[in-house]
Amino acid sequence: MKEMMLAAPVFLPLAGGAALLALSGRQREKDGPAVRIISGVFTLGVSLVIFWLLNRSPKDSLVLFRLYGSLTVKFQMDPMGSVFLGLIGFLWPLATLYAFEYMKYEERKPAFFAYYLMTYGITAGIALAGNLVTLYLFYEMLTLVTFPLVLHPMTKEAQRASRKYLYYSISGAAFAFIGLVFLLSYSATGTTEFIAGGNLNMEAARGQKNLLLLAYILAFFGFGVKAALFPVHGWLPKATVAPTPVTALLHAVAVVKSGAFAILRLTYFSYGTEFLKGTWAQWAVLSATIITIAFGSTMAVREIHWKRRLAYSTISNLSYILFGAALMSPLGIMASLCHLMAHAFMKICSFFCAGAVIHQTGKTFVYELDGLGKRMPVTFACLTVASLSLMGIPLFAGFISKWNLIHGAFSLGTGWTKGMGRILPFMGAGVILYSALMTGIYMLTVLVRAYFPKDTSGGPDRTETEENISDPGWRMLLPLMVFAAVILLMGIKPEVFLQMDRLRQIGGTIG
Amino acid sequence: MTEALKIPFFHIYLPGLCGSGLTFCLDGFRLIYLAAGIIMWSISGIFSLEYMAHYEKKRRYYVFFWATFFATMGVFLSGDFYTTFLFFEIMSFTSYVWVAFDEKAESLRAAQTYLAVAVIGGLTMLMGLFLLNHLCGTLEFQALGQKSREILETGGAQAKELYMAGILMLTGFGAKAGCFPLHIWLPKAHPAAPAPASALLSGILTKTGIFGLIVMSFGIFFGEFNWGLLIVVLGLITMFWGAFLAVFSINLKRTLACSSISQIGFILTGLGIGSLLLAAGEEPVLAVRGTLLHMINHSLFKLVLFLCAGTVFMNLHQLDLNHIRGFGRNKPALGFCFFAGAAGLAGIPGFSGYVSKTLLHESIVEYGVYTGSPWCRLAEWVFLLSGGMTAAYMTKLFVALFLERNPGKQEEFDRMKGSCIRPLGQSVLVGAALLIPLFGLFPGFTMDGLADLGQDFFVPGIKAHPITYFSPENLKGAFISIAIGGSLYGLIRRFLMADGRYIDGLPKWLDLEDLIYRPVVEKALLGVCGTVCKYLDRYVVSIPVTLFLQVSALVCRSMDHMADGVILLARNTTHSQIPSGSPKKEKFGKILGTEPGGKEGVTFRLFRIKTRIIHLCGLVEESFSFGLMLFSIGLFLTIGYLLLVFFGVL
Repeated sequence: MKEMMLAAPVFLPLAGGAALLALSGRQREKDGPAVRIISGVFTLGVSLVIFWLLNRSPKDSLVLFRLYGSLTVKFQMDPMGSVFLGLIGFLWPLATLYAFEYMKYEERKPAFFAYYLMTYGITAGIALAGNLVTLYLFYEMLTLVTFPLVLHPMTKEAQRASRKYLYYSISGAAFAFIGLVFLLSYSATGTTEFIAGGNLNMEAARGQKNLLLLAYILAFFGFGVKAALFPVHGWLPKATVAPTPVTALLHAVAVVKSGAFAILRLTYFSYGTEFLKGTWAQWAVLSATIITIAFGSTMAVREIHWKRRLAYSTISNLSYILFGAALMSPLGIMASLCHLMAHAFMKICSFFCAGAVIHQTGKTFVYELDGLGKRMPVTFACLTVASLSLMGIPLFAGFISKWNLIHGAFSLGTGWTKGMGRILPFMGAGVILYSALMTGIYMLTVLVRAYFPKDTSGGPDRTETEENISDPGWRMLLPLMVFAAVILLMGIKPEVFLQMDRLRQIGGTIG
Repeated sequence: MTEALKIPFFHIYLPGLCGSGLTFCLDGFRLIYLAAGIIMWSISGIFSLEYMAHYEKKRRYYVFFWATFFATMGVFLSGDFYTTFLFFEIMSFTSYVWVAFDEKAESLRAAQTYLAVAVIGGLTMLMGLFLLNHLCGTLEFQALGQKSREILETGGAQAKELYMAGILMLTGFGAKAGCFPLHIWLPKAHPAAPAPASALLSGILTKTGIFGLIVMSFGIFFGEFNWGLLIVVLGLITMFWGAFLAVFSINLKRTLACSSISQIGFILTGLGIGSLLLAAGEEPVLAVRGTLLHMINHSLFKLVLFLCAGTVFMNLHQLDLNHIRGFGRNKPALGFCFFAGAAGLAGIPGFSGYVSKTLLHESIVEYGVYTGSPWCRLAEWVFLLSGGMTAAYMTKLFVALFLERNPGKQEEFDRMKGSCIRPLGQSVLVGAALLIPLFGLFPGFTMDGLADLGQDFFVPGIKAHPITYFSPENLKGAFISIAIGGSLYGLIRRFLMADGRYIDGLPKWLDLEDLIYRPVVEKALLGVCGTVCKYLDRYVVSIPVTLFLQVSALVCRSMDHMADGVILLARNTTHSQIPSGSPKKEKFGKILGTEPGGKEGVTFRLFRIKTRIIHLCGLVEESFSFGLMLFSIGLFLTIGYLLLVFFGVL
C-alpha cells in the first residue's frame, strides 16, 4: 500500500485539475476564492507528499499497469529522480503563490490554474518514471497539458506561439520514440527499465553500433526539443507570450528541464556511458551543446525584449546542463545536476523579477527599465543576486555549477591524446567562459539601467504614475526572496544546499 | 626553496565553504597589507564623512565602501587561488559602484569600462585557474609551488600549458593592477569615482593584482627566466607609458591615475628583475625589498595625493588644471601634504620614495653587472627617464596648484583658506603625509623593518645586508632623474602651455580604449557573433522546413498530374480522337425520351444523374489520394491478416 503513495504526486494534481476544470464551467465561481483554495491546497498537499516520499528510503517502485507485453507504466524513486522531484516540489507552491497575485486581473483563472496544477502532476510523473516508456508517456502528456497555458492570453501571437510549441514538441517526441524503439529491441533486460550504467545488451549492440548511435542522436535531439537545443530551440523565445508564472516555472524549469532530465536518463540509464563514451555520437552531441551555449547567450545580448532575452539565456543555460550530460562521466552528471538545480533557482528568480516589473508597470523592454531599481528595491535586489549567479560570480550558486562543469570538461579532455576528445572539452570550457561574458553583458545592462539611469533629472516624460511604482505585494515578493536566499546559500554552503555528496554518489554509481 | 614559501602565523582551512573550501593565512607581508588596509580605509572613511556630506546616496556609498574593504582584505589574506579569485571578483563588483556613483554620463561610461575590464579579466583569470588546477591538482599556494616546480623541471607539453595558465592569470591580475595594455580603466575610473574611493582604488585595489603576481612569480614560476623577462618588459612599458600619459594630462585626478599606472610599472619591473636574478642564481634581495617598499610607498603616496585632490574637488567641483590653479596658495597644510606626496613619488632624497626607487634601481644595475646583459642599460635608462617624467608631472601639478595665481578667481580661493577642509580631515591627512618624510629620513628604523617583515613572502630565507641609502653612488641615480625631470618640466612649460593655459597635447585618437578595445569588443565580437547567430536563428530552421515543404508539395503535385499527363500524351499520340459526325442517333433517343409538353423524360433524367456520378467517381479515381487510399486499404488488410496469424486463428 505504501508503494501506492508513489502515484499520489502524479494523480492528486490531475484530480485537482479536473475539479478546477469542472468549476470553470460555472460562471459565478470565476472570481471567487474557490479556485485559489483548491489549487493552493492541492499544490501544497502534493508537495508535502513529495517531501514525505523523499525522506523515506528511495527504493520503492510501483508498476501501475501493463501497456502491452514488457511495456509497463512504472514509478520508481531513485537518487536522480528525487533530485528533480525535490526541485519541483519546492518550486511549485512558491510559483503558485506568485501566480495568485500575478493572475489577479486575468480572465479564465479556473482553466489556468487547472492546467497549472495538472502540469505539476505530469512533471512529477517524469521525475518518478521508472522506465523509458513511462517517461515517454508523460513527456507527450506534458506537451498536451502545457499547450493551453501557452495559449492562455488568446492573442494572435499566443496562438501562433502555442501552435509552434505543439509542432516542435510533437515532432521532437517522434524522434525520441525512434530511440525508444531501438532501445527496446537491444535492451539487456527486454524492458526499457532505467539501470544505472545503461540497459543495452552489449554483445547485440556492438553488432549494430552505428545504427544504435544514430538512434541515440535522434533521441537526443528529440528530447532536446524541450531542452531547446539549437536548431530546435525556436519555440522557446516565442512561448514567452504566456503569463509569467508559466514562462518562469514551465519554460525555465519544469518543461525544459524535463527535456534535460530525459536526456540524462537516456544517456546514463538507458544507452549507458560505457556504450556511448568516445564515439562519434558523443562528439556530435557535445558539439551541439557547445554551439547552443554560444548561440543562446549571443542572441540574448541582441534581444531587447526582457522576457525573450531571458528565454535565450535559458537556451544557453540548458545546454550547460546538456554539456555536462554529454561529458558522460561521473563528474559530468554531477555538474549537470548541479546546474539543473542552480539554474532552476536563478532563472525562475529572474523571470519572476521580470514578471513583477510587468505586473507593476507593464514594461516589457529592457530600455524602459531606467531607474526602476530605486522604486522596486526588493525586486531588483533579488534580480541582482540572480544575475550575478547566472554570470558565475563566486558566492552564488552559478559559480559552483560552472566550476564543476569546467572541472568535468578538463578531466574528460585529459583522457585523450588526439582527436575530438582532445579539443572539444577545452572548447566547451572556452565557450562557457565566452557565454559568461555575454551573460555579464545581457544581465548587467538591465541592472545598470535600473540602478544607474542615464537620465537622472527625471525628464519631462516622467509621469505621475511612474512616481507611484513600488514593489509588488507579499505574495510575489516572498517567492523572490526565498529564491534569492537559496541562491546565496547554495553558493556559500553547496555541500548542504546542493547536497553535493549525494550528487557525487549519483555520479559514482554510474561511473 | 619553495617548500618553505612562507611560514604563516596562522593558517585556516574552511572546508566546504563556496565549493572547494576557503583558505586564509597570515604572515609578515599579509600583516603589513592588513594594517595598510585598515589604516587607509579608516583615513578615507574619516575623509569621506566630509567629502560625502552633501551627497544624497550616502548609504549606498558606505555599504559598498565597507563591502569592498572586506573583499580586499579577503584577497590579501587568501591562502589559495580559489579564495583569492572569490574575493577578487566580489571586490571588482563592489568597487564598480564607486565608479558609477555620481551617475553622470561620463562616469557611467568609465564604470562600464571598469566593469568590462574587471569581468573580462576575471574570466580570463578563471580560465587560467582551471588550467592550473587541472595541471597541478591544487590551488593552495604552497602545494602549488612544489607541483609547478616538478612540472617546470620535467618540461614538455605540461610546462607549456603551465605558461599558458600563467599568461591567462597574468591577464586577470594585470588588468586589476593596471598593467599595460589593460591599464585603460584607471585614467577613466579615477576621475569619476569619489576622491576617497580613488585613493583606495589606486592605493590598495591595484595592489591586489600585484599580490597575485607576486605569488605567481615566486610561487609558481620560481626562478623562471622567461617569466621574469615577460614581467620586466611589461613593467618597463607600463612605467614609461603611464608617465608619458601623465605628463600630457591636464586633469588633476587623471594625472594621478596615470601616475599610478607608471608606479605599478616600477613595481612590476622590480618583481620581474627579482625573478630574473633568481633565474641567474642570485639572491634577489634588493629587488624584493625594493618591490615591497615601493608597493607600500605607493599606497601611502596615493592616499595622500588623492585626498588632496578630493579637498580641491570638494570645494571647487572641478579637476581641470586651468580651473583649479592657484587653489592651494596660502593653504600650508594642504601644500605640505601634497608636496610630501609629490616629492615621495618623484623619489627626492629625504622622502620615502627615494628609498624604494634606489633599491629598484640598484637591482637593475646588479642584474646588469651580474649577467653583463647590454639590455640592462636600456632598462636602467627607461627607469631613470620614467623617474624624471614623474618628477616633471608632479612639479607641473604642484606649481599649478600651489604656486601659480588663478587669473579670475584667486580672491575667492584665498577666502576658502580656513574652510576648505575640516580639522578632523586635515589632521588625518597631515598625519598620513608626515609618514613620508619620516620613512624617508630614517629608512634604517622604519623601512628596513617593514622589508624584513614582508620579504619572506616573496623569497623565504634571503639575507639583507645593510645599505647606506644616502651614499653618493645611490644619490646619483636620484639626481639624474631629478635633472631629467627639471628639463622635462621646462619642455612642458614651453610646449604644453598656450596663452598661459595648460593644454592637452596628446591627440584624442591615441586612446587605446576607443582606438582598439571598444571597436574590437563592440563591433567585432558582438557584431560578428551577433550577426552570425541572427542568421542562424532566422534560416537554420526555416530553410530545411521550407525546402521540405516545397519538395514534398512538388512531388505530390507531380504524382497527381502524372495520370493526366499520360492521358494527355496518349490523346495527342496513339489515341487521338476522331472528330465526331452529326449526332443523329442521339436525336432519335431524345425524341423518344421527351414527354409531351417538352420536358425531359424520366429515363433521360435518370441517365443524367448516372453520368454525373460516373464523372465524379472518375475524378476521384484519377487522383493521387485514391492511390493512397487503396494503398492504405491494402495495408489494413495486411495488418488484419497478420493479426489473425498472430493470434493463431488461421
